[in-house]
Amino acid sequence: MPEIKVTPLGAGQDVGRSCIIVSIGGKNIMLDCGMHMGYNDDRRFPDFSYIVQNGRLTDFLDCVIISHFHLDHCGALPYMSEMVGYDGPIYMTHPTKAICPILLEDFRKITVDKKGETNFFTSQMIKDCMKKVIPLNLHQTVQVDDELEIKAYYAGHVLGAAMVHIKVGSESVVYTGDYNMTPDRHLGAAWIDKCRPDILISESTYATTIRDSKRCRERDFLKKVHESIERGGKVLIPVFALGRAQELCILLETFWERMNLKAPIYFSTGLTEKANHYYKLFITWTNQKIRKTFVQRNMFEFKHIKAFDRSYADNPGPMVVFATPGMLHAGQSLQIFKKWAGNEKNMVIMPGYCVQGTIGHKILNGQRKLEMEGRATLDVKLQVEYMSFSAHADAKGIMQLIRMAEPRNMLLVHGEAVKMEFLKGKIEQEFSIDCYMPANGETTTVTTNPKVPVDMSLNLLKREMALGGPLPDPKKPRIMHGTLIMKDNSLKLVSSEQALKELGLNEHQLRFTCRVQLHDPHSDPDTLRRIYTHLKSVLKGYAIQHLPDGTVMVESIVIKVSSSPEEANTKVILLSWSYQDEDLGSFLSTLLKKGLPSGL
Amino acid sequence: RKEMEDSEFDELIDDWFIESLKTYRDLYVYQLEFPTRVIEWTSGKTICVAGYNKSSKNEILELCLPQKLFAEEKKGLCAERDFKVLHGGFSPDPVSVLKHVPGTRLIVTNDGLTSDLQVWNLGGDDSDVITKVSSVQGSAGSPGGVKMAARISPQPEVLHGCRGGDVRLTQLTTGQTLYQLGKPLEGWLIQSLRDPSLLHFVSNAVFLAACANGDVLTVDTRTSSPPQLAPAPSMPDSDVWWADVSGRGGLIRVSSSGWAAVSDPRGPTGITRRARLAVGTPHRDSRDVNVLWAPALDDIVAVSGFSGAVQIYDTSSWQSEPRDSHPLFEHRGHAVCSQRREGGAVAVNCHLWHPKETRTLVSAAADASLHVWDWIHPSDAR
Repeated sequence: MPEIKVTPLGAGQDVGRSCIIVSIGGKNIMLDCGMHMGYNDDRRFPDFSYIVQNGRLTDFLDCVIISHFHLDHCGALPYMSEMVGYDGPIYMTHPTKAICPILLEDFRKITVDKKGETNFFTSQMIKDCMKKVIPLNLHQTVQVDDELEIKAYYAGHVLGAAMVHIKVGSESVVYTGDYNMTPDRHLGAAWIDKCRPDILISESTYATTIRDSKRCRERDFLKKVHESIERGGKVLIPVFALGRAQELCILLETFWERMNLKAPIYFSTGLTEKANHYYKLFITWTNQKIRKTFVQRNMFEFKHIKAFDRSYADNPGPMVVFATPGMLHAGQSLQIFKKWAGNEKNMVIMPGYCVQGTIGHKILNGQRKLEMEGRATLDVKLQVEYMSFSAHADAKGIMQLIRMAEPRNMLLVHGEAVKMEFLKGKIEQEFSIDCYMPANGETTTVTTNPKVPVDMSLNLLKREMALGGPLPDPKKPRIMHGTLIMKDNSLKLVSSEQALKELGLNEHQLRFTCRVQLHDPHSDPDTLRRIYTHLKSVLKGYAIQHLPDGTVMVESIVIKVSSSPEEANTKVILLSWSYQDEDLGSFLSTLLKKGLPSGL
Repeated sequence: RKEMEDSEFDELIDDWFIESLKTYRDLYVYQLEFPTRVIEWTSGKTICVAGYNKSSKNEILELCLPQKLFAEEKKGLCAERDFKVLHGGFSPDPVSVLKHVPGTRLIVTNDGLTSDLQVWNLGGDDSDVITKVSSVQGSAGSPGGVKMAARISPQPEVLHGCRGGDVRLTQLTTGQTLYQLGKPLEGWLIQSLRDPSLLHFVSNAVFLAACANGDVLTVDTRTSSPPQLAPAPSMPDSDVWWADVSGRGGLIRVSSSGWAAVSDPRGPTGITRRARLAVGTPHRDSRDVNVLWAPALDDIVAVSGFSGAVQIYDTSSWQSEPRDSHPLFEHRGHAVCSQRREGGAVAVNCHLWHPKETRTLVSAAADASLHVWDWIHPSDAR
């Protein structure tokens, strides 16, 4: 039986490293190539020696697919392709391809330039790695080679996030990456065909959660901003150029309008152009509402939000500033932070995860004294708020996706099996499918039962029809006789005559013979006649002939009688039949073994 | 047109959320897969909910409340706003009553159709599966209407009554009946106990049974003398009554037409304070009204089941002569967020006060929404 093998190489959780190896129909595919942001040592990258001891990854892998631009899904890519060595194709969507190298370069800077680590990938390596990338469009089937095809679906997690359907022959696997089943202010909900894959591979980090509504997260954000503004404080929101920043701007603009607030909101320079550029480029990846606003007006022609100038940071009175980078490790956001950190009226809102070693990470861990460059220390007196706007499917979302895709097996990666027994039971009961939860490094093997399509010749079908009986019913199996020809990657069922003709073969007759001993005192011709009479009475409706050459024929079956001179009473009955009449032949031999009735 | 409606609803919801900035300290909004009629604390940070679908399998879930809600000093640094499913189990029957036995990992459920009880173990750290442990057979042929009170004394016990007047105390580990309300019941007792609405342990030997007709009985299990009766308050159009005696405010009874009466549970005959609640239309369907004293506030009561709102009343201003009382606070979140549904706003199924966090409540509605909210007293709001 054919098998599909799935091995998760990474570790789970928010900051984990996603990397999954799938073997399907003789192809090996790497799904995501993430890094663990919580480690500085070897554990930060997936252990590729697990798949190849010495050889190059190129020889083993048929392709690599990256689901989205978060570093826990793509951060190990340059290491894998340029340092371990992989020259095969890497697939990702257009937005991921555009944003991924920016994030990688940013991360490289923190690691190498700030922390002074060596043995890390270089800027050139990131560039070389990205040259191997082939972009994917949504819902477009891409042929990796003659047998392997992949298709991307909308995942709604971040701009460009995709789920991917991988197919070899009639076997297939869907990998979800991170996905979100509820639309928000700037992205739509994940969607997939009822593609019935053999396995649906889903992340399980949020499988046992019930998500708080997006609106409550936003409410919390507005509340904090408003509180600070009310008491005359300044609010710094460090953001990455793309993603949540746009969402939060739309939110604040609406809020300012409704509340008739006057405090200025600034957007750090560069951020606007960059974001506008990407949003224009990838407008189809956002939700309908954004698409519409973009048509009507430029997304960033806000009434209340203006471009920031570095001199504004010293202006008196409340203000809100969005500034890059998001982890407070360099640039404008760090400069403003240093200026404002000493005042407890001020506030910094961190809308996402921060890598270890960054100021962002330190203040989120409650650190109140920071060592800055030149041995200076910075007292952090401002209020620090951590908010998560990440869009992940929760327990209900996973069930929704299973309902959509209707997989034959479910596989949850990156979870603690003992904490998910209930979920496993729930999936197995509701969908009558098996649910697997392999630990990292553990291989799950799923046996598939692929359907093999066969073309049947019209002649054979007509002949079958001529035999009568009920018309073929797709739900009921029916036995047919024919010859299966496997040629040129296709299967054909034809009549044996046609098969002989097509293949240029001569027909051979296959006959079975068998001897039955019979105690009978009559002469040989008499015994034969008695056999003839007996068969005539038993086999009504069959063509039975007594031929002058001393044989009896029943259909194709020839019966002869002989005896040896020494034992004239022991007759040897010779039966011979063609294989087509196998059933009748064996019936006759059994019948004759029982002897002839005395009354004949 | 649908799009226009959608955006109008969005605006209304946005309006409410913006207003909520001033009226709630915390607000969390969840959507369960299936609606629940029960919410029960299993610890200070965990609750149990369960489905009540009569035609399919139901889930019992033990959920951990969001960490952010309990992060005291470093609240700002905690970003975790989600519920965690700690334990889950499958019940072949609907769950319309659920009680946790304090100090244990046991819960007791009833399907709302019979008076049988099911006993479940919520499970520990080694497994996340809630398993059925045993069952307690109720009175044969009873049409349900089960009410329960659970305690540990020193074995887990449950006091349970159903329509028809059978009130028993059962030890859960052995299934043994420890006490049964004296039979045959006298005529007036049959009338009262036809439909109990609340059972409550007053002390080790004394319990209180509130009845749907408004009567309240105090039963001393040590004697065979008939229970002490506090007759229903006489208020117009009040066919059905619900009651609570859990808080510091004494005994409160609320009727289907919105009348409320507060009295001393030890001498429940004399009603001290009355009011007419602003519940809108009288309660008509078979759903229960929930009336619950705030455990950590004086004289504050929360009422739901009349509409899509949970109302909070301050009873301290009520007087012996009934007057209209306006809610101190109203949680309209369930109704606001469900407007888009066909058939209008949704009804609140149940609500529950947090045992210690003074103004925190959990509430659930028929659309499977589950809200956790910490309201601000109007006098504290700017």
